[in-house]
Amino acid sequence: MNKMGTIIGFTFKNKVKTKSFMITTLVLVLLLSIGMNIPYLIKVFQGDDEASAGIHVAVVAAEGSRASELLKNYASGVTTEGGATVDQYTSAEDSALKTSLDEGTLDGYIQLGAESETGLPPVTFYSPDGDMDAEVQTFLQLGLQQANAQLIAGDKLTPEQIGAMNAPVQLDTKQISTDGTAVTDEEKDEAPIINYVIVYALLMMFFMSIMMTGNMIAAEVTSEKSSRIMEILITSASPLAQMFGKVIGIFLIGMLQIAIIAAAVAANLMLPHNASILTDFDLDLGQLNVNLLIYGLVLYVLGYFLYALIYAAIGSIVSRTEDLGQAVMPITMLGLVTFYIPLFSISNADTLVVKVASYIPFTSPLSMLLRIGVGDVAFWEILVSLLILLVSIFVFGWLAAKIYRTGVLMYGKRPTIKEIRKAMKAYKI
Amino acid sequence: MEALKLDGVVKQFGEKTAVNRISLSVEPGEIYGLLGANGAGKTTTMRMVLGLIYPDDGKILYSGKAFNSELQQIMGYLPEERGLYPKVKVSDQIIYLARLRGMSSSDADKSLRYWLDRFDVPDYYNKKVEELSKGNQQKMGFIAAVVHKPRLLILDEAFSGLDPVNVELLKDTVRELRDQGTSILFSTHRMEHVEELCRHITIMDRSNTVVQGDIREIKKGYPREEVLLRTSSEVSGLETLPGVTGVQRQERGYLLTISEIAAAQRILQQAVGQSEVEHFEIKEPTLNQIFIKVVGGESNE
Repeated sequence: MNKMGTIIGFTFKNKVKTKSFMITTLVLVLLLSIGMNIPYLIKVFQGDDEASAGIHVAVVAAEGSRASELLKNYASGVTTEGGATVDQYTSAEDSALKTSLDEGTLDGYIQLGAESETGLPPVTFYSPDGDMDAEVQTFLQLGLQQANAQLIAGDKLTPEQIGAMNAPVQLDTKQISTDGTAVTDEEKDEAPIINYVIVYALLMMFFMSIMMTGNMIAAEVTSEKSSRIMEILITSASPLAQMFGKVIGIFLIGMLQIAIIAAAVAANLMLPHNASILTDFDLDLGQLNVNLLIYGLVLYVLGYFLYALIYAAIGSIVSRTEDLGQAVMPITMLGLVTFYIPLFSISNADTLVVKVASYIPFTSPLSMLLRIGVGDVAFWEILVSLLILLVSIFVFGWLAAKIYRTGVLMYGKRPTIKEIRKAMKAYKI
Repeated sequence: MEALKLDGVVKQFGEKTAVNRISLSVEPGEIYGLLGANGAGKTTTMRMVLGLIYPDDGKILYSGKAFNSELQQIMGYLPEERGLYPKVKVSDQIIYLARLRGMSSSDADKSLRYWLDRFDVPDYYNKKVEELSKGNQQKMGFIAAVVHKPRLLILDEAFSGLDPVNVELLKDTVRELRDQGTSILFSTHRMEHVEELCRHITIMDRSNTVVQGDIREIKKGYPREEVLLRTSSEVSGLETLPGVTGVQRQERGYLLTISEIAAAQRILQQAVGQSEVEHFEIKEPTLNQIFIKVVGGESNE
């Protein structure tokens, strides 16, 4: 329809130019960019310390201390950046030790007491600032533990055996099938971690986008009503064309925003220093589920229209912008429920609540997205859910158009449901 | 055929009747005046004509046809509360409204520029509506109503809130549109505008049609009750003439109220006998007087 195109164009053009849209988008992009670069930024700020990196501790112990020897041996095996060194001094009053501490070439020193058959006595770490780096702590903890084990075992165990003793036990889980045998790997397909990340990101993005664009639509309709331009508009184009024109125009705004944000995320990931983020988190873009993204888009579009139509209808009932906040409250609540059900179930997507929610029109877009992404869902289930969603869009679209046609000409106090129903009967759409 | 014809149109809001059986017809190229006090039902009538609300009873015909969506292209409407987007540029929104009414962008732009030049404000093209004064916003509203060259124009209180210069400007414009064949339904409560512009009027009072027809015919139906007399020197004894109910001294003469037309002749004779008559006029009732008599009189009962 020609008029609808005009309305879509006008809505889009005017919204894109608004300061609120530009600022929100800019802030989102900025926050995301900062967030994604935080690990790198931290590295940059700590870079100076780590340049002289490595663990440098001193041991104050009697000449020929075995524990000290063992710790030195352990240090030579440490492969972290900068390596680790252990220097031995016989007294804490040693001047060489003092200068090293003052110059900062030493992180600190430990004092070792006499050794016995029952292992090491308690060890105290002394440092200029009175605390211990996490790195130093790990080093000392592991090194001293191994030294301790070696001391107790004496020559009965080789260092390799001691090392093996200290290695953590591997604990795996496997699901039992109904006949009691373990399920083979092929049957149990665990969703890759990247799916969780994507589902999480999509949930956040869709929720924010739908709420924001929904409120935009309601505010737009109410302001047209309160400025009385609505009377001219209604005499120029059918209310149905206006409502859908507006909903689609703002839909394009939402899509534009999502595209900008996605581009910002992609650009940040491309930065050379961020290349390691994905691998650090054990994410592989090759595992990226294209199906999930497509389903996500479909669900987003359908969910958007359902909410947008309701927001448009609410906007049409309210006469003044000040009353709008109160009027959209119920639908905002519904939006929150829709968002939090899948969010709280992200680690366990197959609960009954999520299953039920994935069929109810308003909650289904996000809950179904969760199930598709990280849960167990059959194709027919997705189909049924989409069908229910589609049908309800038509039902609510028709209802919203009726309310819209009636509401836009009702001024004064907010009409009661009874009044709306009565007036609705009078109008053809 | 009438450009617009209302036949026994009724509108009720709940228990209250807003418009009770109004009938009127507007010829092509005619300005039709719809008068009434506040809340008389003028705006409701106009909204029914626009198809914003539907009449409960009666018929509204446009060139003989019932309401249809094609009318959107040939109707123009200036609502009482000026409807424009406050934060959108004048050019953007007027072209948008014109396009909704079926005009092409370039035609709309041309038409808008013509009207801005006509009102001598071409620099408003790029201004936002909220930056304009109230009177100028109203001019923009008027342009929005006529930019698509409507054949049926509905003006609800078009001149309220304008200074005299702009009222004259808009009046000339409205007359020009009429001469081009536009039918105009015009509501106001300023009688002097109606007397200048309209041939036919309807006066509404609390939902009912109380007076309707050709202004001259209506005036003939009301007795002439005032005589204006201007003489070179004083005239005495006017109060005692039969049929004279009141004498009011004015700056350069007298304004007399009479109960019968014959009294006017007696006044003239009396005046001629005593002084030189410079001006003598049996005034016809103004619409204002008729309106007050019809509307104000009833509400006093």
